[in-house]
Amino acid sequence: MQPLHGVLEMLVLRTLARQPLHGYGIAKAIHLASTESIGIEFGSLYPALKRLELKGWVASAWDTSDEGRRAKYYRLTATGRKKLNQEHAEWQEFASAVERIMGPVPEES
Amino acid sequence: MFWWRRLLHLLPWVRRAADRDIDEELAALQDIAGKGALGNVTLAAEDARGVGRWLWLERLGQDLRYAGRSARHNKGFTALVVLTMALAIGANTAIFTFTDSVLLRPLPVHDPAALVVMKWQAKSYTLSRTISWSTGGSSQNDAGVLSSSFPYPAMRVFRESTDVLSAAFCYATVERLSFASRNDTESVKGHYVSGDYFAGMGIAPLEGRLLQPADDDVAPAAVVVLSEPFSRRRFGSPEAAVGQSVRIDNKPFEVVGVTPPEFFGAEPGSVPDLYLPLQARRIVEAPARLDAMFESDHYYWTDVMARLQPGVDRAQAERVLAERFHAYVAGTATTDAERADLPRLALESGRTGLDGLERKYAQPIYALTVMVGLILLIACANVANLLLARAVSRRKEIAIRLGIGAGRSRLIRQLLTESLLLSLAGGVLGLAIAWWGSHALADILASGRPHFTMHAELNWTVLGVAAALSMATGLLFGLVPALQATRVDIVPALKDARGGDNVIGRRLRVGPVLIALQVALSVPLIVAAGLFGRTLSNLNAIDVGFNRDNVLLFSVRPSVLGYTGPALGRLYEDLREQLTSLPGVQAVSLSSRPFPMGGGSSVAVEIEGPTPVTPPKDARGYGPSAVIASVGPDFFKTMAMPMSAGRDLTPGDSTSAPRVVVVNRHLAGLFGLENPVGRTLLFSNTRFEIVGLVDDAVAFSLTENRFPVMYLSYLQTIDRGQASAWSAPSRMTYEVRASGNPMLLAPAVRDLIRRADPNLALHDLTSQATHIDQAITREIALATLGTMLALLALVMSCIGLYGMVSFNVSRRRKDIGIRMALGAPAGRIVRSTAREVLAQVMVGLVAGLAISVFAVRSLDSLLYGIEPHDPMTIAAAAAALLTCGLVSTFIPARRAAHVDPVRAVAQD
Repeated sequence: MQPLHGVLEMLVLRTLARQPLHGYGIAKAIHLASTESIGIEFGSLYPALKRLELKGWVASAWDTSDEGRRAKYYRLTATGRKKLNQEHAEWQEFASAVERIMGPVPEES
Repeated sequence: MFWWRRLLHLLPWVRRAADRDIDEELAALQDIAGKGALGNVTLAAEDARGVGRWLWLERLGQDLRYAGRSARHNKGFTALVVLTMALAIGANTAIFTFTDSVLLRPLPVHDPAALVVMKWQAKSYTLSRTISWSTGGSSQNDAGVLSSSFPYPAMRVFRESTDVLSAAFCYATVERLSFASRNDTESVKGHYVSGDYFAGMGIAPLEGRLLQPADDDVAPAAVVVLSEPFSRRRFGSPEAAVGQSVRIDNKPFEVVGVTPPEFFGAEPGSVPDLYLPLQARRIVEAPARLDAMFESDHYYWTDVMARLQPGVDRAQAERVLAERFHAYVAGTATTDAERADLPRLALESGRTGLDGLERKYAQPIYALTVMVGLILLIACANVANLLLARAVSRRKEIAIRLGIGAGRSRLIRQLLTESLLLSLAGGVLGLAIAWWGSHALADILASGRPHFTMHAELNWTVLGVAAALSMATGLLFGLVPALQATRVDIVPALKDARGGDNVIGRRLRVGPVLIALQVALSVPLIVAAGLFGRTLSNLNAIDVGFNRDNVLLFSVRPSVLGYTGPALGRLYEDLREQLTSLPGVQAVSLSSRPFPMGGGSSVAVEIEGPTPVTPPKDARGYGPSAVIASVGPDFFKTMAMPMSAGRDLTPGDSTSAPRVVVVNRHLAGLFGLENPVGRTLLFSNTRFEIVGLVDDAVAFSLTENRFPVMYLSYLQTIDRGQASAWSAPSRMTYEVRASGNPMLLAPAVRDLIRRADPNLALHDLTSQATHIDQAITREIALATLGTMLALLALVMSCIGLYGMVSFNVSRRRKDIGIRMALGAPAGRIVRSTAREVLAQVMVGLVAGLAISVFAVRSLDSLLYGIEPHDPMTIAAAAAALLTCGLVSTFIPARRAAHVDPVRAVAQD
């Protein structure tokens, strides 16, 4: 399952809210957190990350990983956190609205 | 958002650093994730690079650099295209500048959109409605009479309509007033304006104050407001003018203020030197007549403008006011005929002021706009053809770029960038041409007219139009070639250069279409060139009926100094005698107006006794009418008008002598008289003895048909007062025939007049030849302009046609070579090639003639002495184009037929 366009950015923000990660780390984290039901193409994730960086919601810096490898790490900025909270609320509202419409799985007739 | 980051990315080194960073980051991630885990990394990097950049701007930069390089490499091509576009855009912009200043630009006043001009429309003039011709004027149209002159009492109707109008004001123009200050007298043009005029216009004074309602009282204030240019010319500066005591028509006035420099009254094209209160006419002119003017419901003389109340639109105000005006004129009607044809009020937009200039120039402007529009289209067709030809020579380059994966849209964009760059360069150069052109145009049109000002200058509207023209033409002439050029079959184009060419040729057959189009567009322009050429030669060959050379003209108005009756006659005759005795003067006479008179009156005449022909009478029982000219002794000698019988007028033809008249041949001919000398002519219940017969000469205007004219001795009209149609001339024009250049007499004449009476102003000092030229300045200027534009179009279309035809022929060199190699004789090849191209020329010619029939109709107003559908001119235009087509076909076809077949076939 591929997340929708705006949703992907939301997921990235949510993931980075826990801890700074590098690009591949973010993809893995989302995959794990969704109990392996959401797979993210790196090809879509990476440009999204750059877009978020341009908007100033995430910031990046070169760092060394626990395994001693150099990589660019992304972290949430203050603006990003504010944005995330806002998106969070909106998402909740949206999801419950969809849930109300969809309801339980309909019976085949 | 974060646009500054985007801006930063436009800097090449910032962009390169960012790109490097992305590459490093992705390399590091690949190390961590292992090969293949990240999918297509190159694509991800490419997408990421696009984030936060104005890619289109970067690509535009690339395209521009590329276009600049290719323009530099093809200098001849670039110069040709830029020059073609510059001429076409320049011509269009110059004409638009003209349109803008005459038809479009709002008056430089407060909220010009709320201004309205009052007009009325009626089926015919009625006798009790006297309309003054000196003001805004009236014109005859299909529905009868349309006029902007109103009687003064009608102002009450408008002033009291405060429910729809926030202001209503009026004015009247006077062409000549004498203005004296510091012992220097000159002739000026003035406006009499109502006291609320400046407030209604909504302008503020530059210096001092403007006129106020209190100035415009039945007992008017003797105050005057000057225009900025006049105050500067006369007093050095606007500040210095305020407070000056001056004499206007020899009456004392005080300068109280100066209008802002951009204000030119209500009529574009005429700048008054000064503004007087409307009622100050009572000070300047004879009061008895003035009371009648201000109180009469039948004397129509003021122009009326008004300002709409906020929220009221023109149609609404018209409904309300038309009803009230109807009630007013219904009350003034005196006869049943008048009651049946009451003037109906109409409100026109006053945004651009009064439409005097518009009436005069609107038709010519539309005609000129059509012409320059066609020129622009021809230029576009020419340039499109050049680009098409170049696209053929670039097909290999384009095929390679398509082959290595360039997108077609990207290529089209790049080709369009090139054509836009060319047309913008043409536009910039065109603006320079337009700037020069519009000044030249204004100079030509203003030549010799002191009060004519064409505010033709470049402004943002004009710049915007030039820019829009450049962009539109760039797209127009660039799009088709770009679409064609990129529609290449890559493989054949790369393998065999000719292949791509043939593909282009066969797919759309744009070439032949362009040829036919070019010819079709050219026909009307060449027809126009012919018509304008003929008009110019007709205008220059006008026979005025007298010798226009070596005559000095000037006018005096002694009546403003209080001369009347016998004293007035004595002054005129004294001056005439003194002028005659000046050295270098051959003869002197005078007339109520200089010839051609520009206007005047005509009356019904009869000849006593039996005549060979009895002229038919009109419905109201009037016989033929003749133009009245009041002239002095020796008039025909001075003007060198040939007399076929009788004698010239003499000083003896005075009040005490029997009344005499000299008639022209036209008038005598109406009664079938060979020699009418000795007969008696009757008009206005007065008998005149015919003492001379003179050949026909111009009377009112140069471009008219000849009128019947009768010349009266002014000395016999001088005591008749104001009542009659041939009353005392309060103003006379002297004609002074010199033995050489008449203008050399000017200082001596000025000196003589000053000695006779220092307060007497000299008006309109000029030569007879200049006066005649001025009468047709507009016609000559417009015909010259039209000829120039048409010649430009002719040259452009011939060059274009030659280029197109020869390009099409030379593209077939390979076919021709093959046919030659197979044994076809050269002559047959030339003929068959020519036949094909000529067929296209003929198609264009037929279409063009059809266009001409409609297009040249718009030129009617610019032509003189020739019909727009003159068959000779149309035939000559067709022949010229056909010749041009033949020459441009045969030369390249012959060259192709005489080339070595082997080389033609092998040619790349």
